[in-house]
Amino acid sequence: MESVAATQETPRRGRKRLSIIDCDIHMPTARDEVLSYLPRHYREQIDTFGMRLPTQGAMYLNGAKGGIMQDQSFPQDGKASSLLAYFQTEHLDKYNIEHAILTGLGDYAIQTTPDADYAAALCTAYNNYGIDHYLANDPRIKSSVMIPKQDPLLAAKEIDRVGSHPQIVQVISSNGAEKPYGHRFYYPIYEACVRHNLPFAVHVSMEGIGINNPPTGAGHVNHYIEYRMARTQIMMAHLASMIFEGVFDRFPTLQFVMIEAGMLWIAPYIWRMDQDWKALRSQTPWVKEPPSEYVRKHVKFTSQPIELPPDESLFLPLMKSMFAETNLLFASDYPHWDFDNPFKSFPKMDDGMWDRIFYRNAAELYGLPARRSETEGASA
Amino acid sequence: MTKYLVGKVGDIPPGGKKIVDAGSRSVGVYNVQGRYYALRNLCPHQGAALCTGVTTAFVTSSGPGDFAYECEGEIVRCPWHQWEFDVKTGQMVVDPATRTIAYEVSVEKYDVSVDDEEYIYVHIR
Ligand code: FES
Repeated sequence: MESVAATQETPRRGRKRLSIIDCDIHMPTARDEVLSYLPRHYREQIDTFGMRLPTQGAMYLNGAKGGIMQDQSFPQDGKASSLLAYFQTEHLDKYNIEHAILTGLGDYAIQTTPDADYAAALCTAYNNYGIDHYLANDPRIKSSVMIPKQDPLLAAKEIDRVGSHPQIVQVISSNGAEKPYGHRFYYPIYEACVRHNLPFAVHVSMEGIGINNPPTGAGHVNHYIEYRMARTQIMMAHLASMIFEGVFDRFPTLQFVMIEAGMLWIAPYIWRMDQDWKALRSQTPWVKEPPSEYVRKHVKFTSQPIELPPDESLFLPLMKSMFAETNLLFASDYPHWDFDNPFKSFPKMDDGMWDRIFYRNAAELYGLPARRSETEGASA
Repeated sequence: MTKYLVGKVGDIPPGGKKIVDAGSRSVGVYNVQGRYYALRNLCPHQGAALCTGVTTAFVTSSGPGDFAYECEGEIVRCPWHQWEFDVKTGQMVVDPATRTIAYEVSVEKYDVSVDDEEYIYVHIR
């Protein structure tokens, strides 16, 4: 008879795994260290009056422990170095992540305040904090430029300021918006993206919060599950806007990344756009090719949260219809509660497809090198 | 069938749980109102350590705004995506075909015990 009374699960050594690129990671930040990058005026205001930001968290119940997996406990000593060390062991090393794309630092709530100058100062603070504390200390980590999307000229200034940093790989904005992203109001942002060869990414969040429009055309929704469903509709509206307002005709090198809005729904949506374009093409004659072609050439999708069809045989045809082999990027959404485990979230697929989704598509999009080694591996 | 010693009866009071290693497996042992249940500490969804999630009740309702609680202490919610599993069977509540393994648990006096302590064992086949 054996007897054991340990409290931890013993780590298992599984088969070797190739390294991957994870395209949606939310690193927490050390508040005081971030605030030290702010001009005195805002720092003193925050000390006296608080952050002055509307938040999604106060409106909708984002699951688990403040939105984070319950078994993740980031150190609370207020030091960026401790947060980084925890992240390195609990995520980067554990899943053999060769490049980790942070989808901005700080709360997207920055993009919901009417005070664009304050938003710009906060974006600068978070971007600088990220560069000094995370990017400088781990070459695996790449980040996205947080922009004050309320004011596209200020946003462009911020992109010009940090956009050429070698570990800054994209520009990020929240799904919640004042206008759909195809609107010409946003052109200064796209001009700056093109200048620095950075994709423009939209990440779900902040729909209906602060200055952003209600989360659906039918108005505000109540429960968090309805809110999550609404995000897909909003992403649909942005995608159609980008295509039919002619953004990709005006900025032929611009890449658009849709983050955390799910993925398989995109297939029938592309079919619908193509079908309607056949009928309505003459109304937007600057749109030269079927919408599916714009999607194929300009749009990338991250995988999480994956919709898994109950009938697994539907999975691959839908993947094919959304150009997954060239346009889909794996994302875990770590450390959020609806995290996708890189080893367990996808149904089986062939090695070539796996390699594109878990590495090569992202490497091509973000200009990252090939795998260090094809043989090096971690365990599940 | 191998039996693994989990601890003394007093180690897991009603409402309590203990996560133990039984051979190569991690197992969560629960005391629900004096009866013991054991689940494999592995979520069938994406592999989280299931038993580290909260132990709670099953919430029911007659309509919006109304919340009632059944099966207090018999539901474990996964620490990742919060799927709910029945501690007694290891089955996911809304989809019983999705399950983690439930093991048999017994309470016995230790083989060569001189004291009167009762010990909890989990039986793994
Ligand atoms: S891993 Fe347990 S619910 Fe997803």
